[in-house]
Amino acid sequence: MMSKKLLWIFAVTAMMLFAVLNVFRKGEAETPPPLSVHKSVAIDSSKCIAPASFMRANHMQVLYEWRNSSVRTGNRVYIASNGSKYEKSLNTCLGCHSNNRLFCFNCHSYANVKPKCWNCHLSPMETP
Amino acid sequence: MMNEQRREFIKKTALGVLVGLGAASGLVPAFSLEKTVLPVWDEKPVPGKIRWGMLIDTRKCKEGCQQCAAACHHAHNVPDFRNKKDEIKWLWQNPYQKVFPTASQQFVSKEIQDRSYLALCNHCAESPCTKACPTEATFKRWDGIVAMDYHRCIGCRFCMAACPYGSRSFNWQDPRTAIHDPVTTYPTREQGVVEKCNFCSDRLVKGQQPACTEACPEQALTFGDLNDPRSDIRLLLEANETMQRKPELGTKPSVFYII
Repeated sequence: MMSKKLLWIFAVTAMMLFAVLNVFRKGEAETPPPLSVHKSVAIDSSKCIAPASFMRANHMQVLYEWRNSSVRTGNRVYIASNGSKYEKSLNTCLGCHSNNRLFCFNCHSYANVKPKCWNCHLSPMETP
Repeated sequence: MMNEQRREFIKKTALGVLVGLGAASGLVPAFSLEKTVLPVWDEKPVPGKIRWGMLIDTRKCKEGCQQCAAACHHAHNVPDFRNKKDEIKWLWQNPYQKVFPTASQQFVSKEIQDRSYLALCNHCAESPCTKACPTEATFKRWDGIVAMDYHRCIGCRFCMAACPYGSRSFNWQDPRTAIHDPVTTYPTREQGVVEKCNFCSDRLVKGQQPACTEACPEQALTFGDLNDPRSDIRLLLEANETMQRKPELGTKPSVFYII
C-alpha cells in the first residue's frame, strides 16, 4: 500500500518536472524574427466574425473580398463591425470550425455547390 | 472525513496544474496551419517603399549542396514528379552557360565555368511576365515581389513565354500527387496553373528570412531591401563586383550574383 502511494507521488513529480522543463525549453527555442517589417497586432479568433445567419448567406462574398485584398494589396487584417480584428485567412475560420470535419461539405453537398478552395487549401477534413 | 476532502482537493489541483503546464509547453499541440504575424491596420503597405532583393555569393556556394532548394521546395509544397518534362522549379541549379548565357566576360576560368549556379525568379523591376499576363494573375506587388495570384491563373502560359529566365513552371498534372512530404503551413497549387518562387512572401509577413537564405549553411545568400541604402544587401552590392542575369534585356532583376 505504502509503496503504491510512493509510486504515485514519484510519477506525478516526474510529469510535473517534465512539463516545467518543457516550458523552459520552449522559451529558449524562440528567437526574435530577423526582419522587423511589421509590428504585430492582437488578433482575436475565438469568436465568429459575424452572426451565423449573415455568414451562411454571405461567406462567399466575405472570402472573395478577403482573398483579393490580402493577396493583392496586402491588407491582411479584417476589422469586424464591433471593432475586433481578424486575420484574413481561411484558417481564421478553420481555427474553430475544423472541429466539425463536415463543416463546409454538409451544406455544399446539399446545395450542390462545388467551390475550388480545397484544390489547394486544406479543407476541414484535412486539417491536423 | 476532513482529511479525505483535503486529499481530493490536492489531487485535483495537481492535475489541473499539470494540464495547464502541458498546454503552455506545447505538449497539447497548438493550431498548426499557415499563420501570419499581422501588420498593424494603419501600416498599410506603401507601394514602392520596399524593394526586396537577393545577393548570391556563388564563391561560397558548395558544389553538390542542395539545402536551399530542398528547404524552399519543402516549405512551399513544390511537387517533384521525378521527370524533366513535368519538373516544377522554384529554386534550382544550372551550369554557368545556362545561367549567364550573355555574360560579357570572355575567357572566364574553367573553375568558374564548371561550377553550378543558383537560379530563381529574378523579381524584375520591369517584369515581362506581369505585362504578358492577360488576367493579372501575376502582378508586381507593393514591395517589388512579382507575385502569383493562383486564384486568377487560367493556365495560358503567356508568362512562361515572356520570362527570359525560365523561372516559371506549369502544372501539367495534379501537383498533390507528387508532394512527398507535404506541410500544412502553405497551400498547394492545382493542375493547370503556373507557379514560381514567391520570394517567401509567406515568411516575410511573419518577419522571417526566406527559407533558402535561412537554410544555407555558408550564408551565401543575402536577402534585404534594395531601397534601403543601409541594408546588408546594399552594402554588399557597393563593396563587391556583382552581375545580374541577362541585364541587357532591361528587366532590372532584383537577384544579384557575386561570381
